Amino acid sequence: MDRRDFLKTAIVSGVTFVIPNIADTFLDVLEAAEKADLIVAHGLSPASITKAAIDGLGGIKRFISNGDIVVVKPNIGWDRTPEYAATTNPEVVSTVVRLCYEAGAKQVKVFDRSVVDPRRCYIQSGIADASSAVGGIVSFVDDRKFRDVKLPGISLKSWPLYKEIFEADKVINVPIAKVHNLSTLTLGMKNWMGMMGGLRGRIHQKIEGSLVDVAIAIKPTLIVLDAVRILTANGPQGGDLADVKQLNTVIAGTDQVAVDAFGATLFGLKGANIGYVVAGYKAGLGTMDLSKVKIKKITV
Amino acid sequence: MVKKIRIATQGLFLLIFLWLFLQTEAKGANELGYPVKIFLDADPLIFITTILASRDWYKTLYLAIFVIVATVFLGRAFCGWICPLGTMNNMVSVLKKQQRKTVAIDWYRFKYYILIFLLTSSLFSLQLIGIVDPISLLIRSFSLAVYPLTSSATNAIFDAGYNTNIPFIVSISEFLSSLLKKIFLPFQQPFYLQSAFIGLLFFLVLGLNLLERRFWCRYLCPLGAFLGIVSRYAFLKRSVSEGCNECGACASVCQGSAVPDLKDNWKKAECLVCMNCDDLCHKNVVHFGFMKKQTSAGLDLGKRRMLGSILSGLIAVPLLRITPVVKTGVPDPKLIRPPGALQEKEFLRKCVKCGECMKVCITNGLQPTFLEAGIEGIWSPVLVPRIGYCEYRCTLCGQVCPTGAIKRLNLPEKTKVKIGLAMIDKGRCLPHAHATPCIVCEEVCPTPKKAIWFDQVRVKNREGKELILKQPRVDLEICIGCGICEAKCPVLGQPAIYVTSIGESRSRDNQLLLP
Repeated sequence: MDRRDFLKTAIVSGVTFVIPNIADTFLDVLEAAEKADLIVAHGLSPASITKAAIDGLGGIKRFISNGDIVVVKPNIGWDRTPEYAATTNPEVVSTVVRLCYEAGAKQVKVFDRSVVDPRRCYIQSGIADASSAVGGIVSFVDDRKFRDVKLPGISLKSWPLYKEIFEADKVINVPIAKVHNLSTLTLGMKNWMGMMGGLRGRIHQKIEGSLVDVAIAIKPTLIVLDAVRILTANGPQGGDLADVKQLNTVIAGTDQVAVDAFGATLFGLKGANIGYVVAGYKAGLGTMDLSKVKIKKITV
Repeated sequence: MVKKIRIATQGLFLLIFLWLFLQTEAKGANELGYPVKIFLDADPLIFITTILASRDWYKTLYLAIFVIVATVFLGRAFCGWICPLGTMNNMVSVLKKQQRKTVAIDWYRFKYYILIFLLTSSLFSLQLIGIVDPISLLIRSFSLAVYPLTSSATNAIFDAGYNTNIPFIVSISEFLSSLLKKIFLPFQQPFYLQSAFIGLLFFLVLGLNLLERRFWCRYLCPLGAFLGIVSRYAFLKRSVSEGCNECGACASVCQGSAVPDLKDNWKKAECLVCMNCDDLCHKNVVHFGFMKKQTSAGLDLGKRRMLGSILSGLIAVPLLRITPVVKTGVPDPKLIRPPGALQEKEFLRKCVKCGECMKVCITNGLQPTFLEAGIEGIWSPVLVPRIGYCEYRCTLCGQVCPTGAIKRLNLPEKTKVKIGLAMIDKGRCLPHAHATPCIVCEEVCPTPKKAIWFDQVRVKNREGKELILKQPRVDLEICIGCGICEAKCPVLGQPAIYVTSIGESRSRDNQLLLP
């Protein structure tokens, strides 16, 4: 399947479920506001489904208060354009930034410690432009701002982490769902690697415990998992459009383990297949068993 | 009045030069958007020697020809009014007391011997111009030494401010630092091999101004010599009318070695057209103009010395090439050339060692060689993956190369070019030798189908516990040698995966796989 066919199919299939569901959406949102733990929003516009997913959890005001300083942490790890699904969808990121401001946030900061050249990653991913356009304060990671942080010690006793994330009032994790061969998939908790300083490649030796250690230290207020496009092979960097699958989905939740466990299902896997999801569950960070999570699916 | 206009012009060109220098830095887009190599394009000496050495016509030639034509009209105005190194020499010269007599009146010939040497060797395919061409020298010195040292010093000050942890000082220091980052500081501190050496040579050139004002321009600069020869027939002429009382005041303000006080015997080829002699003359008898009649001394270089320069240029060609590094398989295996670099022989004939590629290299991985490519290849670019890998989608080095020694590649071409191959040191690799998970190399491998793949194997650790590990392997067909695996390998010191030049697309012989 070449790229054009792929997009065509994606659009056609997208359209079929959008049309009959428009009327229900509004009711769905209202209903979801009450009880769901995890919202899975589906639809053609990344901005709309991002908003719908957050609204489904009760709206951005449940998470962001007036005057908050917020960090939005996307995956800007690679020098790839958005269609390659190696970095978080820029529209998803900018929607989160915009919503935070609408909820009265004072500052919304966007940054990530890229794996390859950050200048290229920030520009090519489209995230820098999209976020600045809605007022996001986009900055490159400053090496001086890493501070040794004491960690639970599942695998790491301490590690230099980015201090701005601890100085913020609220932190929103905005990862993208991708294949990552060592840890099987990169989802929410894996995204915290972008806040680690030093020679972080070493954590590959004990990746599960290390990621959970960091995930416990950085408690996000909200996780918005981008699955507008997912990368199914040659991750986490990709580079071949044939490995990209268009799901037009955004998942929002507050339980780091549950969001990742659901993320695994996008790839036909279970949370139990992902080492750090299991480790997170064992550490008491969240729920791995999705039957115990109230999941609300919305189509916009 | 003329002096003020000249100084303003010099300042303007120096600013343009510095501004373009600062723009020779990646911003994240695929192109830089500014003609950053324009001073090199305009350098007639680089132009001519490149054509001679490579026997290859040259694309951006208009500016160099324009400078030659302008010199035919105006004499060495380029030296006196435009050349950024000349201007810097001028600035440092202010520290030197004015004096009437030059150090040695004959030394001016030396630059012509350098020029003849370089032209001869380039005619026989040995391209050494980059070592002494003023524009090359300046850009190389700035890229590899002056700019990194400025950045290091500035950052040290701001780091000190930041580390005071006094909120007031931190906020001021951070404000200034972010402001300077926008204006002139580099995105990241650059580091170069030999930066101290290259910096010292540059400061020596500047320091010579204390011995004699514009020492470099008068005695050493081969571009000055070349323009001097062209300017002998320049239309802009200098004349001294009746009434000169031979006070000799003009001699002390002459920026070249033109001995303006000798009236009819002044040396036109040495005149930088600074017009100080005209400006200063109390009797107002010195004039520059196109209609004037003039007489001037010829350029007498001496037949024996000229022959000596030619012979040296000739001998240099085989002398520098009887090194074993020209044999296949012998050169330093770490001589990894940038993507798009021509086949080594052709490459050396075109590379002018200006350092533009090293300045622009997004990861700082391009470094100056010392003797890895022979003396002939000194200060040419080599990728040192442990310092910085070749960024997969970056094509900047080819964009800034002034002579095409590194071809300008488009993105699809770039991602196919092999600059070497990676191989694994199984004795150091964690999953291979130490029963420990890793595969960072696999993760960072940038090719769409990864050149680094892995085997799932069962291994036992010391306690006899069985583990399933992913052990990396390299697909030699797919690997492009970018070196990110080596750069990111967590096995520090000697990496467990490393790149050598074998397999580079540009070479027919330096290959491992059957074609």
